[in-house]
Amino acid sequence: MNRDGRRRKVPRAGKVGRGLSRNAGSDVKAAYLFISPAIIGFTVFVVYPLVRSFYLSLTKYNGLSDPVFVGLGNFRRLFTVDPAFWPSLRATGYLVLLYVPLSLALGLALAVFCNQRFAGVRIVRTLAYLPVVLPAVATITLWKFILNPQVGLANTILDKLHLPTSDWLQSPAMSMPSIVIVMLWGVGGTMIIFLAALQAVPNELYEAARVDGAGPYSVFFRITLPMISPIMLLQVILQTTAALQTFNQPKILTNGGPGFSTNVLMLSIYNNGFSNLGRIPQLGYASAQVWVLFIVIIAVIALTAKFSSLWTYSDNTPD
Amino acid sequence: MTTLPTEAPAPAPALTETPAAPKRSTGKRTARTTSWYVTALFICSVMVVPLLWMITIGLKSGSAVFEVPPRLLPREFQWSNFVNGPEAIRFPRLLLNSTIITMLSVLGGVMTAMMAGYALARLRFPGQKVWFYLFVGSMLLPGVVGLIPLFQLYKSIGWYDTWLPLIVPAFFGGNPLFIFLARQYFMAIPYSIDEAAKIDGAGHLRIFVSVMLPLTRPAWITMAILAFQASWNDFLNPLVYLYSADKWPLSVGMAQFVSPFAGQTPNWSYYMATNLLYMLPPLIIFFAAQRYFIQGLGSLGSTTQK
Repeated sequence: MNRDGRRRKVPRAGKVGRGLSRNAGSDVKAAYLFISPAIIGFTVFVVYPLVRSFYLSLTKYNGLSDPVFVGLGNFRRLFTVDPAFWPSLRATGYLVLLYVPLSLALGLALAVFCNQRFAGVRIVRTLAYLPVVLPAVATITLWKFILNPQVGLANTILDKLHLPTSDWLQSPAMSMPSIVIVMLWGVGGTMIIFLAALQAVPNELYEAARVDGAGPYSVFFRITLPMISPIMLLQVILQTTAALQTFNQPKILTNGGPGFSTNVLMLSIYNNGFSNLGRIPQLGYASAQVWVLFIVIIAVIALTAKFSSLWTYSDNTPD
Repeated sequence: MTTLPTEAPAPAPALTETPAAPKRSTGKRTARTTSWYVTALFICSVMVVPLLWMITIGLKSGSAVFEVPPRLLPREFQWSNFVNGPEAIRFPRLLLNSTIITMLSVLGGVMTAMMAGYALARLRFPGQKVWFYLFVGSMLLPGVVGLIPLFQLYKSIGWYDTWLPLIVPAFFGGNPLFIFLARQYFMAIPYSIDEAAKIDGAGHLRIFVSVMLPLTRPAWITMAILAFQASWNDFLNPLVYLYSADKWPLSVGMAQFVSPFAGQTPNWSYYMATNLLYMLPPLIIFFAAQRYFIQGLGSLGSTTQK
């Protein structure tokens, strides 16, 4: 990286001196002064922890004595011995599979809904975005009580409507769907990005389609969806990586239970690395889990980006 | 990467409605309008009813909360919950902690991101592209990767159980998204402005402070709001770095009050009354600066779409 930077220095400096401004020297000094906090931060808070974390994942380390190098031992233990690791991977995968498609579909539906011209649409938009603004802990704890089986709002309403009630967070089958419901209350965040994308679609396209006699469904599937597909790609990546790192909801709502049903990877990492239940922290082991999560995230981004050309629309015509 | 946040400098909110659907028969239109309003009502109630219900819980007495079958409205209003609840949770202390942490990290995050964005967008220096791509690339890095090494680092320099791990990183460009947003915004400003200032003899610091900062007001207000939200909502970091209860911010303190501890049931009416107070600062900011919320994310949408 460093070497790369130095190699680029020579031709660029030449270009600057030749063309643009006379005080290029002071530019360079000023630039590095302006950017130095970010560079220091990048080195100390990004590069160092990244390298160190990779090293720790190959060690046995409790935070008190020096780390002992064990090679791939942690990963071997994760995949073959640890009875909690596969359930936590499965819980994470289940959460992603439930949350991401629902969040994208509901977010897009809500954006299309809020992109129509009706009096009061602004109020709907504001209210739909409201839960995103509220502090996460405040909404999660509120939902913890809403989902209380005996006195919670959810069962009260379902009961009044003579619909089946549920044990929500306390039932192993419903605990993860309940967490996803709580997360989906913040679907306004997905909506607002889709809304911006919808409004960037040129009106001429809709007018042309109308002239050609296209119905609302073919307009949506043949014009709207292709035009916003780059944003869809961004959303898939954003939502999936965020969902893979879900921590607050399971930590506050269920703390991983009942059983291992909501013990997602982040929670497992937290419990191994920072447990305050009197257990010895297993920082090396937790780092190995971090790297499993990291590699999954990288893989998701890489695969989504790789296959994106199959389904995203890009404007290749020169402006 | 020379895309500009085209809509960002415009002060008006970016969201405008698309023209109405083609007009057909009146009956069909009335049906459409009715169904739209019914759906709108449903969406609004899903978003609002939980909050209203929270307020009614906050007004119920401690035992009325557990009445079976539950009543939607309280029989008698216990306004005292709004005094006793915050006291039991030690809300004033937590609020003070949260305020200090949030203000400092907003200040640091916005300041360093604006500085870095200025250098990346408007100054020419070797390594410009490299640094830009490194910062943008680090956006994809999940925060949890650094958590364990940083925890050990802070512990070894005596920062464990202090606010420093929550504040100091912000002063060092802690949020690469802000650097990206700042750079995009700076790129959209005409270069003739700095040249004019340079001819008048202004140095880079002068240009940055008295020319660029006023021009980029929407950008840094948006960033400040995003930074406020991130810090006010942050739960994992304070949970990991702060051990003593009198240093907790609101997020950890509030969550702790309702976490099952030794089989005790928390006092939910106290909690919900206090929860409302906890929600107020972000709510006020949201309603006061709504367009910046939408603008920030809107510019994210329009930059990537170009």
